Amino acid sequence: MKILRKDICTFLLVLMIAFLLVQGLELSYEDKEDSEVDEYYKEHQEKTGADNMVEAILLDFRAYDTFGEVMVLYIAIAGVIILGKIVTGDDQS
Amino acid sequence: MTSLIVKTAGRALTPFILLSGLYVASFGFLSPGGGFQGGILLASGVILIMVTHGSKEVHRLAENIDWFETFGALTFLIVGLAGLLLGGYLFSNLLPDTPLMCIVLDIVIALKVFVGITAVFVYFFGMGVKEC
Repeated sequence: MKILRKDICTFLLVLMIAFLLVQGLELSYEDKEDSEVDEYYKEHQEKTGADNMVEAILLDFRAYDTFGEVMVLYIAIAGVIILGKIVTGDDQS
Repeated sequence: MTSLIVKTAGRALTPFILLSGLYVASFGFLSPGGGFQGGILLASGVILIMVTHGSKEVHRLAENIDWFETFGALTFLIVGLAGLLLGGYLFSNLLPDTPLMCIVLDIVIALKVFVGITAVFVYFFGMGVKEC
């Protein structure tokens, strides 16, 4: 029986999924000790004025990361708009 | 092209979708939600109108869509640079203990995501500026 490239890819994919599933089974849901960063976020949350912890981290402590995320979206949309203008023949404006 | 039922349902649902999008975006600092989710909701309202009524109804938005995108990105950058100049480091909170920075950035992100998803729809589905 000839082993095809497709079979090897399928085997690797199944192996990866099995690895991830086994890793997931070993996750623990017990309370862990807070790291230093966690403590910092908890103590300084009031200074951001946001009651929502996710928002406080996303838009205040880690606003620079969010800026990068927004820029990724901006570049993707710019590519789509340029492509659309070329396809519709409206690239003169 | 589309039937009366689809048109009526789209017309009736869109204001509520837009309203809930605005709510999710502007109350992101108090409740679950935020700019990305609110922007997606706003975009889904506009896309519903485009699907049911055709792109003529939103042609003014579709023509100026890339300006909104750039405006959002620039506003985000200006907020960060103002923090750098006045507060000492990039994206420093200029008004501590008030949620103003979160609100402003939320609105800007909502605008950007709204315009971006709508632009993807407008250009990928052949409803570009030419055919409006």
